[in-house]
Amino acid sequence: MSATAAGSRSLAGAVDELLGRPVRMRSLALLRVFVGPIVLLHLQPFLSDSLDGRIYSDAFYEPYAAWYPELPRGVYVALLWLAAVAAIFMSLGFLTWLATATTFAIVAYNLFLSTTHFHNNRAYLCIVLGVLAVAPCGRELSLDALIRRRRGLPPLDPRAPAWPLWLLRFECSIVYGASGMSKLLDPDWFGGTVPWMRAVQSRDELGALPSWVISILTNRDLYTGAAKFIVLTELFIACGLWWRGTRYAAVWVAVIFHVSIQASASVQVFSVLGIAVLVIWAVPSTRDRVLFVDERRLALVRGLDWLARFRVEPGSHLEVIDRDGTSLRGRPAAVLVLSRLPLTAWFALPALLLPAVRRARRA
Amino acid sequence: MRVVGRRAVVVGVVCAQLAFIAAGYWSDHKTFAFQMFPEASTWRADVVRVTSDGRRVPVSKPWAGYHWDELVPDSALTYPASRHHADAGLANQLAFLRSALDYVARNTPCDHETRYLEATVTSWHNDDPPRIEVFRSHVR
Repeated sequence: MSATAAGSRSLAGAVDELLGRPVRMRSLALLRVFVGPIVLLHLQPFLSDSLDGRIYSDAFYEPYAAWYPELPRGVYVALLWLAAVAAIFMSLGFLTWLATATTFAIVAYNLFLSTTHFHNNRAYLCIVLGVLAVAPCGRELSLDALIRRRRGLPPLDPRAPAWPLWLLRFECSIVYGASGMSKLLDPDWFGGTVPWMRAVQSRDELGALPSWVISILTNRDLYTGAAKFIVLTELFIACGLWWRGTRYAAVWVAVIFHVSIQASASVQVFSVLGIAVLVIWAVPSTRDRVLFVDERRLALVRGLDWLARFRVEPGSHLEVIDRDGTSLRGRPAAVLVLSRLPLTAWFALPALLLPAVRRARRA
Repeated sequence: MRVVGRRAVVVGVVCAQLAFIAAGYWSDHKTFAFQMFPEASTWRADVVRVTSDGRRVPVSKPWAGYHWDELVPDSALTYPASRHHADAGLANQLAFLRSALDYVARNTPCDHETRYLEATVTSWHNDDPPRIEVFRSHVR
C-alpha cells in the first residue's frame, strides 16, 4: 500500500470520526426554539396576502422549472397555514421531528415556486430548517421531552452524531465567506465605488442628519477604506468562527455586523436568523463547568443558561470551576459566567480581555 | 452503511454549496450564492405595448381591463419608468424584467391588439456610463 493511499485512508477515517462523534445537540435544540418565530416572520407576507385573497400566481411569477408542481389555490394556502402551525410546534418541541420536517418541506416548496420568492435570507432559513429536520434536536428544550418525563419514560440520549452540526457550521461560515469573497473579487466593491454610490443614492434617507455628517458620509475617500473594512469583516467572521482563539471575537463582530445591516437595509429575517444561528458555535458539550452561586441567584442563572454551559450548585460565594479545573472567583468568575449566557454574552465578552480576568483564567 | 451515507450527505451538500457559489458569478439568479449588496447599479425602462397596427402604447395606461402595476406588483418592476437601484445586481433585475414582459404577454388573454411588449432599458452599472438595451416579449 502506497503512502498516499494510506494517508487518504487515515484522512477519511478522521473525517468519519469527526462526523460520527456523538455530541450534545443542545445548541441545535436552542436554535430550533428560536427559528420557529423566525419562520412566522418569514411567512407573514405570504399569509397576509392569502388573507386578502391573493397568492403568488395572481401576478408576475417565474417558476424555476416547468415540471415543478403547483398546487390548487386552496391547497397552497392551507399549506402556508400548516407551515405556520408546524413552526409553532417546532419551536415548542411538540412532535418535534414531524413539525420541523413539515416546516422545512413547506418553506422549501414555497421558496422554489418562483424566482421572485428567492432572497438570500430565505435560502439561509431553508438551509437551517433542513439541518434541524435531520438533527435529533427535540430531545431537550421540548414538550416532547417534558411529556416523556411525565410518562415516567427514561429521557432519550441528548447526544447524536455531530455531522448536522458541522454541516450547519459550514453553511453559516459560507454565508459570510461567499458574501465577502464576492466583494473582494469585484474591483468596484473592494475599491469603494459600490458602497460610496449606495451612500449617495441614500442621501434622502440621511436627510435628518446635520449637513456636515452627510458630507462625510457621502465622501468618496471614506469608502476607499471602509469597503476594505467591510469585506475583511465578513471574511474575518467566516474564518474566525472556526478557531477557538478567534471564535468569540468573530461572534461579537457578527452581532454588530447584523445589527448594522438591519439598521441600514431591508433584509427581511436575515439579521435575526444570522444572530440566532451563532449559538451553534458553542462547544457541543454541556454542564462541563461547575458554577457555585448563592441560593437567591440560582434560579436566575439556571433560567438564563440556555446552552447548559454550567452545572449550577448552591454555594456561599460566586465560584466557577472551569473545564481545566481552574477556579475563578469574584469579578473574573462573574465575567466568565455572563460571557457564556446567550443573553449577556455580547456585553460581557469584551470584559474577558481585562487583565485581571485574563490573569485569573491563566492561574 | 451509516458511515458511508453520512459521508455522502456531507460531501454532497458541501460540493453543491460550492457549486452554487461558483455559479453565482455568471448566473442571473444567484441562487444560494450569497452575494449580498453586490452592486450600486441602477436602471429604468420605457415599457410599451406594440400593437398589430404598429402603435406603441405605454403600459402605464390601462388596456383591455389590465393594469401593469397589478400584473407586476411588489417590486421595482411595478414602476419601470422611474430609476431604481438593482437590489440583487443588474443582471438579476433585468432578467426579471425580461420574464415580466413574457409573463404579461402570456397572461392577458382579453387583449386582442398587442403583438408584443417592448422595454427600452437604460442601465448604469455602478458608475459606468449608461447602456441602452431593448428587450421584447415573445410575439403573441
